[in-house]
Amino acid sequence: MERKLRGRGVAASWYGIARTATIDRAGSWAELDDGGTAKIVTGVTEIGEGILTLLAQVAADELGIKPSQVTIGDNDTARSPEAAHAGATRQTYMIGNSVALASREAKKALFEQIADHWGVEIDALRSFDGEVWASDTNLRMTMQEAVATCKARGVVPVGSASFTAHGTGLDPVDGSGSPWQAYVFGTQVAEVEVDTYTGEVQVLGIWAVHDVGRAINPRGVEGQIEGGVVQGLGQALMEDYQTEKGHTTTHGFAKYILPTSLDIPQINCTIVEDPDPLSPLGAKGIGEPALVPTVPAIMNAIYDAIGVRMKSLPATPEKILSALRARNASQAVTPGPAVEEIAGTQRGA
Amino acid sequence: MSKLKIEMEVNQRKVSRETEPQKRLLDFLRDDLNLTGAKEGCGAGECGTCSVFVDGKLVKSCLMPVAKASGCKVETIEGLATPGQLTPVQKAFHKTGASQCGYCIPGMVMAATSALRQNPDAGIEEIKERLGGNICRCTGYTKIFEAVELARAVIAGDMPEAGLEEDAVGASYIGANVRRLDAPSKVSGRLKYAADMKMPEMLQMQVLRSPHAHARIISIDTSAAEAMEGVACVITAADVPGQDGFGVFVHDQPVMARDKVRHVGEAVAAVAAEDLLTARRALSKIKVVYEELPGVFDPLYAMEKDAPLVHDYAQNNVVKHIPVRKGDTAAGFAAADLILEDKFSTQQVEHAYLEPEAGIAYVDADDVVVVISPSQNITHHRHMLSAIIDKPINKVRFIMSPVGGGFGGKEDMIYQGMLALAAMKTHRPVQLNFTREESIIASSKRHPSQVHYKMGLTNDGRITAIEFSMLSDGGAYGMSSEGVMRKAAILSCGPYEVENLTVDTTAVYTNNTPSGAFRTFGGMQAQFATESMMDMAAEALGIDPFEIRRVNMMKIGSRTHTQQALTTASLDRVLDAAQAASRWEPGAPTVRGALRGDLGGPDTRAPCTLGARIKQTGPSGNKEKVA
Repeated sequence: MERKLRGRGVAASWYGIARTATIDRAGSWAELDDGGTAKIVTGVTEIGEGILTLLAQVAADELGIKPSQVTIGDNDTARSPEAAHAGATRQTYMIGNSVALASREAKKALFEQIADHWGVEIDALRSFDGEVWASDTNLRMTMQEAVATCKARGVVPVGSASFTAHGTGLDPVDGSGSPWQAYVFGTQVAEVEVDTYTGEVQVLGIWAVHDVGRAINPRGVEGQIEGGVVQGLGQALMEDYQTEKGHTTTHGFAKYILPTSLDIPQINCTIVEDPDPLSPLGAKGIGEPALVPTVPAIMNAIYDAIGVRMKSLPATPEKILSALRARNASQAVTPGPAVEEIAGTQRGA
Repeated sequence: MSKLKIEMEVNQRKVSRETEPQKRLLDFLRDDLNLTGAKEGCGAGECGTCSVFVDGKLVKSCLMPVAKASGCKVETIEGLATPGQLTPVQKAFHKTGASQCGYCIPGMVMAATSALRQNPDAGIEEIKERLGGNICRCTGYTKIFEAVELARAVIAGDMPEAGLEEDAVGASYIGANVRRLDAPSKVSGRLKYAADMKMPEMLQMQVLRSPHAHARIISIDTSAAEAMEGVACVITAADVPGQDGFGVFVHDQPVMARDKVRHVGEAVAAVAAEDLLTARRALSKIKVVYEELPGVFDPLYAMEKDAPLVHDYAQNNVVKHIPVRKGDTAAGFAAADLILEDKFSTQQVEHAYLEPEAGIAYVDADDVVVVISPSQNITHHRHMLSAIIDKPINKVRFIMSPVGGGFGGKEDMIYQGMLALAAMKTHRPVQLNFTREESIIASSKRHPSQVHYKMGLTNDGRITAIEFSMLSDGGAYGMSSEGVMRKAAILSCGPYEVENLTVDTTAVYTNNTPSGAFRTFGGMQAQFATESMMDMAAEALGIDPFEIRRVNMMKIGSRTHTQQALTTASLDRVLDAAQAASRWEPGAPTVRGALRGDLGGPDTRAPCTLGARIKQTGPSGNKEKVA
């Protein structure tokens, strides 16, 4: 048998979007501002996933301006409407839709004035990238002019909205209920190489396929998938917070081992878009679901490579070697050629 | 204490300062020069967030005494480009989306800059090796690699500078790769996280933490600490004016230990002082008398009759049990051709966000208690703090500072209450910055799990019944345990339509470090077991792993484990796409790795051997190696 053996494994997964088994809600305010810019105010809490950029895209697209022209007032319980927490893969779904609805209301306030100003039906008005126009006419102005016109008529174009997701609680006896109104599905394939001398596992490739609803920023979606995969890889192979009688023995990053650049597989992302029918944007989410199938895909790949099933995480080199030894010992009763060779490599190591 | 005269060139400006001799270069840059782009992620040279150049060499400034850098040329992230400009490396990080939370990014940009300065032709394997001393917890590194390769191409002239600009937008901003609006502030080190912020008259807080896993507090004597020069206040549970208790689902955790401690590292008292050193010294003057109690460290033992109780209200130490029942499990197993039974376990996992917990509290001119911290749940935190300090909601204000990674770990209000109490007691701003070690012992972890699994199937791979039970160690406080158990139960049996199932998830209290919210909230632990079982079944039945999943997958109209009828379901498309993308060679999972023809494609990386890929470069055989 070769010292280094490769294998592949697959795992599927599912996940619910937004808060579980309860009503979820998020509020926001929108204002088309001087200069054709916009203010969006919401209690959203960016934790690095890119939600502020996504909200700027949503507001820009709804209002007809550029994302760089959107200012987001966020993160402050005393200055912004409640949008609840950063978690539960909820911010794109909950706050994205809330901002879309508030922006539509602000744009409607503006368009009512511009339609009247131009003497056209409001349904004929369009806006994109800082321009406002009426379809099938030569009527056109910049968003800056449109806001000035609206204000000169005595109206500040503002809007507000609350978006709701209707989860229901679980029955205390049989657990029945509808915890989420939107679900996502994912599948990942892992390719690994196992060193049978050292027990070390290297993940060489991950193919990550996730339904995210409508992908508002595909690169941002990839970033979430890649980050989730690598956290899954850490959990699968190395990370292990340990205590003895309640005292940790893994005090810092010298003892608590994390994936670094040399541990990273090539991650091949495929985004599947199955839009959510119950919300204006159709987007769902990806933050948490990205991490779910990584661990079992890697464990199934390890089995494919060396024929030992790792049921206790993490699959450290020590555990892999010990599982190989146990497997070899149990097979030694009726030794086949492969077993002989593994035993040989063990002695060789 | 006598001061040390430090003279150095920092970002091409001469700097001369008297400073404390115990300072590290990192402290000098951050505290004396207010150059806060370099971060303290671990203080032990492990994470790289503090990376700077000293005389052109990449160093971890948390490991270098400031005296050693005296007389040197120091370059920090702030000095790479002139204000308002970005270097090609920084622009490339912006373009590819290489910064997420951004906390590791100044150090990562320094390491990437160093890599390309050392070898402008560095290949991807060498780039990875040279970034090996810098940890990123958000991005999975992939967009960072892409950024460094992009910057290399532009610097070498292989690609026009326009390649660093944003892609043109089409007919809509939905679906467009708009660059992150916050990236320029992150790649240039300008963004101020809570630990980077300073306010006039600000005090520094330090926390006395429990050395015991389970002990009764007989007495706390703070008088000697309070009498120290420079100490502004000492706070304990006795300072809480309102209803003491916080938690995501059950408010079972006091701001500081009340009557007893339940885990090692639990806050017992806190000091706010004029400076960090004084606050630290004052901690040693607080006298706490404990009576140690027997602890419970094993979740199975926790449920036994003779186990010590961690919380009086929770008999058998159970935080939460969630049952899910559907169909007739006994009948389902009776109809099975194959029954598999096995056990799985997962470990406690640390969030390891690069930004340790940090925050500032103050009382504003309108008597509003303001807390600035990287809290993932400012709405719930203000509700809880309002009850704890007995003030109306509009007199409590939470501002979320830029979050240097959260992943669920910053949902728990484990220090904001102490900051608020000290600010109220002193009417001065108070700042608390955790060390990495403090973050690790005091913050929640991913729930470990023990799963017992029984699955019945027919010969064609159809699941007839599942029995699933999961036990999790919730640790000393409830935090998110209830919700994690609920989500684990709902998702337990995976994306498959199962007619008959019996699912139980249970979290118990122990005297271990608490478990809390962590990306997937129980979903990963449960589905690791399910997806392992699916492959074990596929092998036993001789079915391809994609096929066995298709046989059972949820479709539109399927009833979930909680009997919800699905109106949409995309797993069929997702499975097809994964099979095609991975060029999957069909076959049952019978340890056929050695026989596969689909391995080692261009969409995989080469395996690595440490240190093997740094090329000898430079005219004189530059011996530069990344340690």
